[in-house]
Amino acid sequence: MALPGLTNIIARLWTSLAARLRGRPPVPFSVLYKKFKGILERHNAILELIGDMGDKLGGDYIFDRQYILDSCERLGDQVFKLISDLNLLCQGKNVALFTAFERIQLRVREELAGRRVLSRTDHILPLSELTHDLADEGGNKMASLGDIKNILGFNTPDGFVITAGAYFETMTRAELRKPVAESIRALCVSEGEGLEEKSRALRQAVMDMPLPRELRQAIEHAAGQLSSGGPQLLAVRSSAWDEDSESSFAGMYETVLGVAPADILPAYRRVLASLFCEEALRYRLHHELCAEEPAMAVGVMPMVDALVSGGLYTYAPLQEQDQVMVVSAAWGLGKPIVDGTAETDTYLLRREPPHELLSADIADKTTRLVLAAGGGTRTESVPEAERAQPCLSAAQLTLLAKTAMTLEHFFKRPLDVEWAMTPQGELVVLQARPLSIRPRACAQTEDAAEAVKGVPMLISGRGVTAMGGVSSGPVHIMAEGEDLSAFPYGAILVARHSSPRFAKVMPKCRGIITDVGSATGHMATIARELRVPTLVQTGSATRTLREGQEITLDADHQVVYEGVVEALCRFELVREDVFEESWEYRTLKRVLKHISPLTLLDPKSDAFAPESCRTFHDIARYVHQRAVDKLTSLAETHQDIRERAPRRLVTRLPLGLTVIDVEGGLDAAAGEEPDERDIRCRPLKALMEGLNIAGMWETSPVAVDMGSFMSSVTRTFGAEAAHPSRMGRNLAVISREYLNLHLRLGYHFTVVDAFLGGSVNDNAIAFRFMGGVTDLTRRSRRATLVAAILERSDFLVEVKGDMVTGRIKKHPTRIMLDKMFILGCLIGYTRQLDAKLNSDAALNRHLDIFLQRITAVRETRE
Amino acid sequence: MTSDAIENPASIPAKAPGGETARRRTSILVLDDEPIVCKRLKPFFQKAGYEVEAFNQPLEALARIEAKRFDVVITDLKMEGLDGLSFLGKVKSLHPDTDVILITGFATMETARQSFRKGVFDCVAKPFKLAELLDGVRRIEKERGLAS
Repeated sequence: MALPGLTNIIARLWTSLAARLRGRPPVPFSVLYKKFKGILERHNAILELIGDMGDKLGGDYIFDRQYILDSCERLGDQVFKLISDLNLLCQGKNVALFTAFERIQLRVREELAGRRVLSRTDHILPLSELTHDLADEGGNKMASLGDIKNILGFNTPDGFVITAGAYFETMTRAELRKPVAESIRALCVSEGEGLEEKSRALRQAVMDMPLPRELRQAIEHAAGQLSSGGPQLLAVRSSAWDEDSESSFAGMYETVLGVAPADILPAYRRVLASLFCEEALRYRLHHELCAEEPAMAVGVMPMVDALVSGGLYTYAPLQEQDQVMVVSAAWGLGKPIVDGTAETDTYLLRREPPHELLSADIADKTTRLVLAAGGGTRTESVPEAERAQPCLSAAQLTLLAKTAMTLEHFFKRPLDVEWAMTPQGELVVLQARPLSIRPRACAQTEDAAEAVKGVPMLISGRGVTAMGGVSSGPVHIMAEGEDLSAFPYGAILVARHSSPRFAKVMPKCRGIITDVGSATGHMATIARELRVPTLVQTGSATRTLREGQEITLDADHQVVYEGVVEALCRFELVREDVFEESWEYRTLKRVLKHISPLTLLDPKSDAFAPESCRTFHDIARYVHQRAVDKLTSLAETHQDIRERAPRRLVTRLPLGLTVIDVEGGLDAAAGEEPDERDIRCRPLKALMEGLNIAGMWETSPVAVDMGSFMSSVTRTFGAEAAHPSRMGRNLAVISREYLNLHLRLGYHFTVVDAFLGGSVNDNAIAFRFMGGVTDLTRRSRRATLVAAILERSDFLVEVKGDMVTGRIKKHPTRIMLDKMFILGCLIGYTRQLDAKLNSDAALNRHLDIFLQRITAVRETRE
Repeated sequence: MTSDAIENPASIPAKAPGGETARRRTSILVLDDEPIVCKRLKPFFQKAGYEVEAFNQPLEALARIEAKRFDVVITDLKMEGLDGLSFLGKVKSLHPDTDVILITGFATMETARQSFRKGVFDCVAKPFKLAELLDGVRRIEKERGLAS
């Protein structure tokens, strides 16, 4: 494989090869066409590999380190060859593309080698941008808080994080990274000899090191903004790598509360230095973390002015009662509660909704900590009348319980949640970390299997796991087009079709079961992001399950049990290892960041260039586009083409279609003006049948309102002006089995690439649909409609903005030809549709109409 | 729990006091030097009602096999120190009626196929679906009359 530098040599070789080629007669068209087809095949293979890698995150597969290494190697190899193929086709060098490749390849390798590549180089990141995807930048604790705020949508304080990147830069400039690594290595080798001394020396070095000026200014500026220039005090919290994750380091690092904005820098230093405190170094030693470089991100948040504060364990570590959560609460700020110095109320609540209150132990609370008017905190006595009062109402307790259980379902761990109630009655989540105490009963692993013996199975062995996990709750059957805002908290969503719309209720729902859907679709991706156990493609869940019925979903085993199988849910919570936290899962997810996102979207924009390629997917997309462009221009200019010159196909519909027949795509006897009867290309023939079928070609005049009309005019003019030579020209490159079709109809741009009629394994259709008139909302409605139709026709669908990509492969030719027929219908039907898609209701109506028509058409055909 | 057990004798745990088991669980030993494989297979099979022991170290697994017979052994083919085929040989010589499922890399599928002759029940190639493996174990239970 390409070593650094090798690509440059190859690029230079291309230059000389190209120079020699220029002096020669042109390469025969058939050779170039073969190369073109090779590019398409490789392009598909690459996308398939990327898709496979993404699938592995779904939870259905067991994969290991070797799989990740092999896949990255194979993918890198394929992408490299794809670029070389393009160079051959275009007979030119493309140094910029090789450079982009090398850049991405290097990032992937760094990730694999355990040197995390920070995707954001900022020193300061606002909490509002943090999620676990930025756990490397923000550290675990702050990333979790980011998930709570930004994914689950709960209240947290505002704030920012001083990133691990800032830590590295500071340590690098102070030349401390090497001494740190050496100290830790020495400690590991000597099994802790001189640990106290080394700890002291490292902490002192951190306290004494200079902070880079820009960093100091950035921190002070951000802290000033957070306190709005006032006396608002701040909480400065550790958020180290590995803290609160598999290895916990719980409570070892420093948190400084009640920091005045002017004192932010010393507090930051103190938290940094705690990275090397004795407990943490000892922990590192005993948990085989010697090879991992430590890093400390630091979170900064305003202190919440709390009327009531407290903690909550979602699983009470009690002997007698295994099924309860425990809440402790006191008046004022939370510090005395966390420190254990305050008298607190203790409430026990049932874990299951509606979270019945089992007991309330109300303490005599004589003092409380409050924010002082002029800044700082002070302890005051609680007014006599309030001392023996419970500090939480029933409604507040329910809210707390629901919030905590939603967090537990997301993090898949019993949790310790720190919270506060503001004087306005708002619940604020301050922190959530895994409970180190495991529920007692969980050691009995046989429980789970024993508990399900004899429990009726409502669904078994059907469906595909889109996200693993176990959960229980009442069924809510979602009707098509139902208002999502009324979705009941804690229910399991059961629907006919999967839909990315469900993202909205995912934080509230315990699980998702659909009759139809794909484990690689958009909804599945979101379900994984939100960790909602999801089973798709069960066939008949909406008919098997009843509204309101209590069930337990075990997505790992594709089983739905009747009733709540508590032991099974408990089993899930006490697994020693959460898959999502394993090295393999995290590493695959990290490398995929450099592989699968598609950021090059619009071929007409200036950014559509090798320099902008950020992922392997981008490179594949770029090469594909360049190859198609090249073939199109070759078809117009290549001297070989004369005998198979582009011919205008006479069609019943006004398609303006030019065909280039490479091999057997048209009847040999066809003349200069072939018509539809001359088509021998099987995929094109099937597509034309779909286009021509009665009732599918939408011809009714479309009332375009002024807004969408204007936007359509500007859009189309803009797009057409970029390619004046191709205006109005639709092109199909065909052979007997192959079709590559570029079709601009109305305002849509469709690309179909199909190879049908070889072996089943070679059969593949790729369909892309983009552009269009009207505003973005309507265009994205149209994209949703197209995606829904494609999904129902078994295509694997991806939607990016208003671009829809559908792929299907490896079905018998007969079935694939039927898919081409459906694509024909779809192109005809949606040709002018977006102007009509003025509401979500219209979207659903058109989906129904289309499906009805296609059913009718099929019945007639059969 | 106690009252439930009295009403429903079938739910008495397998390790009931008194030696003889009421209903024996199918036992599985998993050996793979990739910790992630053990970490994921163990709870998966436990949840499905199996008695599972998982090992990352071939030598430890070997010692365990000498002390105890398992109904099913699931082992990786390629490991540091000891390869799956020698482990397989050892298992078969100690317990001819133990069935073995081999986990292989994609590239080593051929070696795996050859070993069918040595009494391997089934092979799965990494990466594999959990359901595939469960299916293999269920087929073993069926053939051996182990399934409840």
